[in-house]
Amino acid sequence: MNPAHAIEVRNVKKKFKIFYDKGNDLKDRILFRNRNHYEDRWVLNGISFDVKKGEAIGLIGHNGCGKSTTLKLLTKILYPDEGTIEMSGRVSSLIELGAGFHPDMTGRENIYTNASIFGLTKKEIDKRLPEIIAFSELEEFIDNPVRTYSSGMYMRLAFSVAINVDANILLIDEILAVGDANFQKKCFDKLREIKAHGTTIVIVSHALEQIEQICETSYWIEDGLIKDSGIPKQVHDHYLKSMEEKRNQQLEKKHHQENQVQPEQPAPEQLPDFCEKTAVRMGTGAIRFTNAILCNLENQKQFIFNTEDKIKIILEYQSFQPNLKGNFGYGIFREDGLHCYGTNILIETGACIPVQEKGRLEIIFQNSLLPAKYFLDIAVHSHDGIIFDDIRQVLSFVVSSDKYDIGVCRLHSQFSWR
Amino acid sequence: MKLLKELYAYREMIFSLVRKDLRGRYKGSVLGFLWTFINPLFQLIVYTVAFSFILPSPIEKYYLHLFVALIPWIFFSSSLQGGANSIMAAKNLVSKIYFPREVIPISYVTSCFVNMLLTFIIIFIVVIVSGTGLNFLAIACLPVIMLAEYIMSLGLALLFSAVTVFFRDMEHILSIITMAWIYLTPVLYPIDMIADEKIQKLFYLNPMTSVIVAYRDVLYYAKVPDLSTLAMAFLFGIISLIFGELVFSKLKKRFAEVL
Repeated sequence: MNPAHAIEVRNVKKKFKIFYDKGNDLKDRILFRNRNHYEDRWVLNGISFDVKKGEAIGLIGHNGCGKSTTLKLLTKILYPDEGTIEMSGRVSSLIELGAGFHPDMTGRENIYTNASIFGLTKKEIDKRLPEIIAFSELEEFIDNPVRTYSSGMYMRLAFSVAINVDANILLIDEILAVGDANFQKKCFDKLREIKAHGTTIVIVSHALEQIEQICETSYWIEDGLIKDSGIPKQVHDHYLKSMEEKRNQQLEKKHHQENQVQPEQPAPEQLPDFCEKTAVRMGTGAIRFTNAILCNLENQKQFIFNTEDKIKIILEYQSFQPNLKGNFGYGIFREDGLHCYGTNILIETGACIPVQEKGRLEIIFQNSLLPAKYFLDIAVHSHDGIIFDDIRQVLSFVVSSDKYDIGVCRLHSQFSWR
Repeated sequence: MKLLKELYAYREMIFSLVRKDLRGRYKGSVLGFLWTFINPLFQLIVYTVAFSFILPSPIEKYYLHLFVALIPWIFFSSSLQGGANSIMAAKNLVSKIYFPREVIPISYVTSCFVNMLLTFIIIFIVVIVSGTGLNFLAIACLPVIMLAEYIMSLGLALLFSAVTVFFRDMEHILSIITMAWIYLTPVLYPIDMIADEKIQKLFYLNPMTSVIVAYRDVLYYAKVPDLSTLAMAFLFGIISLIFGELVFSKLKKRFAEVL
């Protein structure tokens, strides 16, 4: 082992047996021997990394990617099926806070029990006791049974013990959400202080900004492998982007499925195929839209757009009355019902257009909407407001972006300073 | 060796778990810790009444004859049954935190052991009051017998606590075994009652026989137990401890996965 390293993980693999029908007792084992089928699920498929002494690393990834398993392997709660893990120094884990707390015992007694579980001797606990009590801010209550504590007080006490163990390696799983904002800040400051003293820290968290604040390196674990590692901010950006892509894929799939299933019962007026299932149609019927498409400038039909994209709406219609003039327009609503935008040809050009028997209309707009799901409404009215055709939620689309600005739409901003 | 070193480092955990167990047991009751003494005392009174008036026994001072064997037996059987369940009971700790897993059965057996030691205060009082008298040389053997019983119980607790994690029926099987075991051990009757010498030899194959016989020699007959009896007890104890730890160390790595 390299003496500069606190942790060396080499090609670690871990599998769990997933029982289809688990029988733990004799009867099940004998009678249903054939049923004892199980499947090996590989949670980790060969992970290697080094952590230098005094370094802090973060493990990120979506639920079930294997990051907590990695942490459990580091704590030696689990053992790898293949590969090796080497660590130097005392390891303390903030995975389970308040382990072994007995509700009837006082805070002070529980400090001793809890600290002893981390492998501290009585002498060592005696030495740390004042600091633990001070950090927990529970001086007045320390000789009361912990069952009289509020859950916040309980967690504060537990955290104080765990963080005062003076480990060489500290493993933390998603626990910086302890107590009120004030205490959280205190915990965070304490973590930094511990780190400044040369403790190696491994954090598993979904709170990416916490990792960014304290860690030098971030490891993104996916499907039991390290997908990316490096400077936290960069890794997290990749991670977030991929998460979003995945989400969009799901949305698209769902969108597809929804539109493949045709409603059995005939709607009051049969909706044409180009509409969303949830679309609502109104109007006199003098003009009818026969198609609506959302596409890019190359006329390729698209469902997901970026915030800065130019989007083209292609509308085709049929007229059943001669010599009509139409005011074509569209509106965009966010999924939660917010009316984001709407305009029509009368507003834009000051006049309605003559309607052909079969016509086609294209609208191009610069999208500045921020990521969300949106619905498109289309309509054609007469000059004085008679509705010929109006389809609400005719199409839906999703906007994604790789910037993290928030709100409804992007206001192009320039910052300058002196 | 590494294990011993680690266990030594975690000694405070063993102490505090034992303390928690002993104090937690009677926490909240009015008499509290006194129950540790009241319980066996009343047990003794019941036996005295039962075997003097209701079911008189030909054995002189049968209550004492029974009591000095029963208390060590209770230590053994509770270590076995409770010990087997100890890892399961400490599920939350085992699946969330690292510590040498042996700590759990060790603390359980130790807390049963401490309980027995406290009960021995009552035994000594009764032995003195009943006029049997104490043979100090014999009493000096007592710690040796206790140690032998302790390591034997610990070995079995290690073995069965690990097995129970993977095979939950063990708990119930053990309760039947201990029920039968007490009759195969000279707790309720003297070993001499088995007239046939061959069968008596067979009885000594039961590891608890030597232990109970030794206890009774010291406390009831006030004599130094046979060296061979002591040696037997120790031999069984060491075998059980080594075998128990072998199995335990094999199985302990996968505890967290099945709990």
